[in-house]
Amino acid sequence: MKKDLQNSELLSAYLDDELTQSEKAEVEKLLAASLELQKKLDDLKKIKQLGNRVKRIPESPFFETRLMASIEGQRNESPIIKKWIPITALAVVTIIIMAVLKFNPGLIDKMWEDQKVAIAGFYKENLQPVLLAANLTNEDVFNFAFNNELPLDDTRHQYLLLGYDDSGKEFFEIRSSQEKIERESYNEFITAMNLDVEQKQTIDSIIGSYSQALQAQVLVNDQNTIAINPNLWNLRKAIFADLLVASEKLNKEKFDRIVPAGITNDEKVVVFNTLEKLKNTSVDQYIFVTPDSIFSDSYQFDSREFENEMREFENQIKLSEKEFKQFTLNFRFDSTYSSLSETKNEHSFRIVVDSNICRVDLPVPEVPEIPIPGMATIDPLVEQATNNIHFYAYKIPKIEKSKTEIKIEYYNDDSVYSYVVNYDMLNMDSLTEANPGLDLYNLDELKPVGPLDDTMLIKYQFDRDYYNRHYSDDEFKKQMEELQKELQQMSEELKSHKFRVKSEVTVTPKK
Amino acid sequence: MISKEEEKDLQQLQIISIDDDYSIIRQFIDGDKSAFQILVKRHKEKVRNIIYMTMNNSALVDDIAQDVFMTVYRNLKHFRFESQFTTWLYRITVNRCKDYLRKMNVRKIFSPIEEGSEISEYPAPVESNDISRIVTDAISKLPVKLRMPLILKDIEGFSYQEISETLNCEMGTVKSRIFRGREKLKEILQPMEKELMN
Repeated sequence: MKKDLQNSELLSAYLDDELTQSEKAEVEKLLAASLELQKKLDDLKKIKQLGNRVKRIPESPFFETRLMASIEGQRNESPIIKKWIPITALAVVTIIIMAVLKFNPGLIDKMWEDQKVAIAGFYKENLQPVLLAANLTNEDVFNFAFNNELPLDDTRHQYLLLGYDDSGKEFFEIRSSQEKIERESYNEFITAMNLDVEQKQTIDSIIGSYSQALQAQVLVNDQNTIAINPNLWNLRKAIFADLLVASEKLNKEKFDRIVPAGITNDEKVVVFNTLEKLKNTSVDQYIFVTPDSIFSDSYQFDSREFENEMREFENQIKLSEKEFKQFTLNFRFDSTYSSLSETKNEHSFRIVVDSNICRVDLPVPEVPEIPIPGMATIDPLVEQATNNIHFYAYKIPKIEKSKTEIKIEYYNDDSVYSYVVNYDMLNMDSLTEANPGLDLYNLDELKPVGPLDDTMLIKYQFDRDYYNRHYSDDEFKKQMEELQKELQQMSEELKSHKFRVKSEVTVTPKK
Repeated sequence: MISKEEEKDLQQLQIISIDDDYSIIRQFIDGDKSAFQILVKRHKEKVRNIIYMTMNNSALVDDIAQDVFMTVYRNLKHFRFESQFTTWLYRITVNRCKDYLRKMNVRKIFSPIEEGSEISEYPAPVESNDISRIVTDAISKLPVKLRMPLILKDIEGFSYQEISETLNCEMGTVKSRIFRGREKLKEILQPMEKELMN
């Protein structure tokens, strides 16, 4: 490698006729023996020749005149006075500053604090609940509970996504999309739970009851500020769990496949208490995401006062018969954030900016939140239900790996399909020989993992975080369906070839 | 290949050129301020072109060039006749360009982002056959430490020795940077290979 680089540098210098006689002879010898080097020399020559095709800047007829006039102008200034002007000015300014600081020692700190308060105050002006500003529907609230997504404005082009990293630490993302984001999760859920119109109305009214609690959790304003209450993660979880409790009552049979172990009475008590506590407690500490900074600061949002104001405002609108202006958030992922992202301190927000995603990891220790005893006990329930709902509603396959085999399960129509593929029997060579037309590498959306062996299936491992970062659920669903088709096709082709591959396909009728 | 006689002629020419600059500088030091105008006339175009290629911004060229010659004017009386005048002149030019680039980078941090502005890393395909523009734009995408030696070599035709003196770095470094500059330039121009070949 190093030798190659040396040879290439020598070639470049050879082209410039900058080598000693012995180096030149050596290069010519290498060139005579290697077509690759000849090609490299040719490429370098082409690049060098491009220099001859660059047009020079046209002459400037007035350059000399202007230059000489400037020189003349400078010569006329007294060099002695000119020399002392900067230092005299500096001395005068220093004396003034020293005098001011002597009589007001805390002046700089005060100015700094004032400035901070003024900036924070600017961004805190006219904050209003996203629930009202973005005109959120029951579908949006449901989607937030199930998929962690909350639209941030009326246009549905920007939304907030909540998540937990591998260590369980909270993060959020502000995502932007060219297209209007519309989810069908609520309908999917109604279908998965097989609920009738009346049962759906029950769920609707339950969702409606969360609006009061959600109101103060995410606030937005015209300055493109988003204020997020750190309790939002808990509230989302509690709403989700509460919806599960309600669904169990509505259709026990369907619910059992989502949470096979059922919900214990203790868990129900925790869910109820958590939700009540979150509904009735206000935390005056928010995370503020503004176009140029992210900070945590105290802020008191008075729901009642806001409602009164809104009522008055609505009356005024009715009186003047003006149209209600659509709220639009235009959150820019600009370069300021890239510089913020260099912060490595674990007590600061860690920010990662992509072209249309801004991810913020919450610092440790986190922003103060309400203590909720027993919250951790509902975590496994929430996690299991989330995975199963995704499995039944979005048809995301379950992939289980063991030492000897890989098991893929997916749900379609009314059945669960299950594939068991033995590692030893399935290898890349046998697959490509048996399926000359099958483009196995064309599964480029799946993240490749380390080359453990040549078994095709374990070279690709599903990475949900990667998907969340790059794809919407609709795209993901489409890709998963394509993958299912490919797997089916592959299985059929393998069986028809009667090749030395043992794959078992079992179809389990839905419970 | 250059014959020995031609080589001798060339050396003679260089000596004359050095002598010429030296004698003009001596006239200037002796009090003939008009001699400076001769120096400007002689070297301004090369200075302007180095600036133009480095900055890829014609609006800045005359301002920076004026700054360069003002510096020369202020310090010419201290010239020590130990190296060529041009080495000193081009070193000032290169340093001024670096100063401006640094200032521009700082300004970029504080200037607001314009609506819809998008800075592309690689030049977009152009409809006209303006090879010169494509190449100039591509050169401006090179990192400064690769851009400078490449301009001095492939545009201005300096020798490695002259580049090393101008940029104040080792010959080996010059050799390596010119090669890396060419490789990187090739990479940048890859998407418009067709336009360049036509």
